[in-house]
Parts: sequence; structure tokens; C-alpha cells
Amino acid sequence: MIPLESLTPCFQGLLPAWLLTCSKDGIPNVAMLSHVDYVDSSHIALSFQFFNKSKRNVTENPRALVRLYDPDTLQMYALRLRFVRTETAGATFERMRLRIEAIASYSGLKGVFKLLGADIYEVLEVAPVEHEVGRPTAASTPRPAAGVPFTMKALQEFSARIHGAATLDALLDAVLETLEQNFGFRHSMILLASERPERLELIASRGYPPGGVGSEVGFGEGIIGMVAEARKPVRISGMLRQMLYAYAVAQRAQERGLRPDDCRIPLPGLPHPESQLGIPLIAHDDLVGVLCIESQQPYRFHEEDRAYLEVLGGFLAIAIQNTLLRERAEESEDAPTAPSRTEDGKRLPAPSGSGPNLEITWYEADECVLADGEYLVRGLPAKILRKVLREHRDEGREEFTNRLLRLDKSLQLPVVKDNLESRLILLRRRLEERCPAIRIASCGRGRFRLELEANVTLVERP
Amino acid sequence: MKGSAPISAELAAFLESGLSITAGTRDRELNPDGARAWAARVDEDRTHLTVFIHAKAAPALLRNLESCPEVALAFDRPVDNRACQVKGRFESSRRARPDERAEVERQAGGFLSQLDEIGIPRALTAGWKVWPAVAIRLRVTELFEQTPGPGAGEPLR
Repeated sequence: MIPLESLTPCFQGLLPAWLLTCSKDGIPNVAMLSHVDYVDSSHIALSFQFFNKSKRNVTENPRALVRLYDPDTLQMYALRLRFVRTETAGATFERMRLRIEAIASYSGLKGVFKLLGADIYEVLEVAPVEHEVGRPTAASTPRPAAGVPFTMKALQEFSARIHGAATLDALLDAVLETLEQNFGFRHSMILLASERPERLELIASRGYPPGGVGSEVGFGEGIIGMVAEARKPVRISGMLRQMLYAYAVAQRAQERGLRPDDCRIPLPGLPHPESQLGIPLIAHDDLVGVLCIESQQPYRFHEEDRAYLEVLGGFLAIAIQNTLLRERAEESEDAPTAPSRTEDGKRLPAPSGSGPNLEITWYEADECVLADGEYLVRGLPAKILRKVLREHRDEGREEFTNRLLRLDKSLQLPVVKDNLESRLILLRRRLEERCPAIRIASCGRGRFRLELEANVTLVERP
Repeated sequence: MKGSAPISAELAAFLESGLSITAGTRDRELNPDGARAWAARVDEDRTHLTVFIHAKAAPALLRNLESCPEVALAFDRPVDNRACQVKGRFESSRRARPDERAEVERQAGGFLSQLDEIGIPRALTAGWKVWPAVAIRLRVTELFEQTPGPGAGEPLR
């Protein structure tokens, strides 16, 4: 028998697989499958999302057949199966559930489009269907050897870049750059846990148009939110097809009066990703963030990518934590430079003195900041921006230290494990993207300088 | 034995529009088997359907059908997953006629274009052989909704 392991690409869901069953009365049934998963060398798991004839049939007659395609050659394989059991917990169920719920949340279908069980089948026979091959020439071409990007040299390079990064800022960019240059992952992003519970914010990305910094993802939303919630990697291939499948379910659900939730999650990243791989960044049991890579190519990421990136993600999480601790330990304890008082207490002077006018509005209730009426940032980064603009206005202060911010009770930083450095990076990058007239420039460890190229007015609203 | 289920004009147009068609059969031991069909034609009486299967796939399918005539056909439109299932009983088979080739190729082409739309390029499907085909005629006994989601599996009216 062809080893099941050699069919791993067939389990990517690029093309629908078909499950053929037969009732005890001899009526055949053919059903489309949203997910087929490899379990071990003699078992596969099929997604069980709706009570249907297939389910009834295999309960009374366990004989079944799955027809699925190799996505590289469109070679059809027929797998002769025997239904064994339905699992509603455990590693296989969890893996399938995360993927299905990530798809569901993109389609506003959480709760409707879900996994009821992972149906485990014993594989009795695997045979290629001789006359059903889409690209016969490709069948003889060996598949590119798995693991090519994860050479020892590339891994060493990754490690060296992590060790060489002096600041969190440099670390994040170095990691994403290395992912592209050494491993060929061109679209990547890192989201870090926000100070608000169960939310992540995008802090660094590569391969996307600017403007994504500060994008938020709630736990359980999309692949990134599912990774964060479950603290497990999630890999999705052939997303377009799976989204179409989910969309068909959504349409039917709406016709039936069921209410899929209306708020679709705007996905930070590619507008139409075909493959996604999300890795939790966990250090000492803390979820530091999520690393997500994407591709417009269907079936781009393989199990091996997941396995390697999970290990690299572990290093990255520890590196992020260590960098934060080190930065804090080395923070300057010097007092900031003496403020130079301004005559006008309201207007913030632009260094050039001739910059354009810029209105920064702080909304207390939402804890967010708008720049000339456009949303800029919220939460802790917004509070920091208000604080430094205020102090600049009232006291003429231009230089600030992280230590000073930590001592400010109005910022409500947690006593232990505050994430001030990452919030400052987010604020700085957000300003670079959306409001370049205000700059937060680093001027030594734990210090930064406020630089203005506009006449900034700070307006504070309830 | 089940009676005949008439196919509406709208459904007939859908079934003949160039879809993914999978035919399911079984042997005496209740082992299911299947094959891809490339095209379907609904008879004028609306209670019979002919599907076209590549000649190489036909022998195995016919071996089952000659002893166990029950057949299931899953029709699926790849671009939106509208789907239905036709249950029937095998009546007869023959070699597809040359004058049927254009229609079989039109429907197969429609299916392949849809695959192309959802990211499976023609280059990948170029090897799939459509012709020569065998025409398999069946009497339609039941029709079911099969678009994924709540309601899948309910009888079609």
C-alpha cells in the first residue's frame, strides 16, 4: 500500500475531497468534505460538521471511500476506509477545530460553522486512480524536497540575528527580514499582546503596504486570534476554497433565519491570502504574541514549516522577553534634560517654527487619539502620546525616559511585566505611518525625544 | 422500490451547466466506489438522467451497477458550492456518440473554468481526459439539497 505519509499534500484541502458511503439498505451517498486530516500511518480524520447521511451511513455500515487529489499533480487517490469512532477532544480534534473556527470567524460564522467531531477512519487501502491525473508529467517530477529552506546555515543566521538585536525594535525587524531572506517567507507579521485583555496588536510586518501597525485582533478572531486563544499553531491552505465553502454555509444559514454574526473581521495582511500559518509566541507560559506568515499561493506552507517555525517561535518569544528585560535593566536613571519653558502654554512649538498646523485630539472615554480627525492610536500608546505632548506643551520637555513613564500613575502600567517598550515601538511606528510630523526618536537606552515638524495643538475631550 | 422524482426545468439547467459530478456506487458487500462524470443530460421526461464518464473509468463502475443498480450523483458548482444529490437506479449504458462530444466537452470545460477561477489553473487540469466517454442512463428516484450548511440532505422540491 502507498504509505499515507506520502499523501500529506493531499490533506491540504486545495480541492474538495469526496466521501462515498453506503446505507445498510444499499443506497450509496456522495458528500463533499471540508477537511481530511492525517492522524497516523493507518488512520485519517474527516471533519464532522453537520449531521448528515454520510454520518448515518457509516454508523450503520462502516465501509467508506474517500477520493482526494494531490494538489501538485491533480492525481486522484482512492482511500478505502473503515469508520472507527468520533472524537470530540484531543489533539486531532483540536487541530481541525482551530482551522475550521479560524475560517468561520473570517466569514462571520462562529457558532454556525464549527466542528462537531473528528471522525476517525482506518485506512485499508490507498490506490491512485490511473486515469485521473491532471498533470501527468509532474507526477514523475520529484516534489521539491521538503525542508530545503530550513538549512543549518539559515537556522544559524536566524539565531545570530536574534542574538545580535540590541533592542526590541531591531529584533522584530531582523526576525521578519530573516524569515524572508533565509526562509523565503515574504509576507509576515508579528502581533504582540496588548495591555487590554485578550487582544493583540500588530507591531511589525514585512511584505505589506504600510499602515498596518496597530491593527487589532481579538482572541478567537481569524487565524491569529485562534492561535492566541488556543496557544497552538494553525495552518490553513487553499483558503479561497474553504472560504467559498464557509460562504455557502453562511448563505444557507441566513436563508434559514440563523444569524451569523455580522461583524466580519478585517484581516490584517494580504487581502486574499491562500495559505496562512500562525505560530504562538510563548515564553515561560506567557503568550507574548503571534507570528503569522501568509502567501497568495495555495498550499504554500507544509507541516515541516509549521514544525520549524514553532521551534523558531519559541526562541523568538524568549528573545522578545529577554530584550524587554534587558532594555529595562539598562534604562538610564538620569533625569531627563531640563525642560525649556515656552511662553505660550497652549501651542507646541515646531522646531522649524514654520510647519503646518496639526490638531491632536484625545478622547478620554475611548482612550484614543485622532490626528486631524483621523484615527491614530488607542490604549496605552495613545495615553503616552497625550502625556508627552502635554508635558511638551506645559513644561517644554523634549526628552523623556521610560522610567519616567513607568512612574506616572495615570498611565496605569501594571507593576510587573508591563509592556511599555512594545507600546512605544507601536506608537513610534504608527506615527511614522500615519502622522510623520510627530516623531518619537530614540536617544539612548530607555530614552526618547519628541520631535515635531508641525504646530501641534493638543485638544482633550471627555 | 422508490418511484421516479421529476427534475424541474431550473434544476435541469443547473445539472447541465458544467459542474463537478461524482458518481457513487457500491458492490454486493456494501463497499462504496466512485468515479468522476464530466457531463449530464436530463431526458425530456425529466425523470431520467444520462451521465458521461470516461471510458477508462466505466468498467469498474458498470461492474457494480450491473449487480447493484443503486447510484448516487453529487453535483457541485465549485465557485459557490451550490450542490445537490441525485439518487437513481441504473437502467442502461452505451458508448457516447460522436454527436454528444461537443456537449460533454462544453460541460467539462465549464467545470474546469470554474476551477481556474478558484485558483486551480488549466495547466494543472490539462491531463484530465474527458473523451471517449460512456453514457450511463439512470432513472431518478430522489433529489436532495446538498449545499453545505443547515438544510443539506433535505429533499429537493
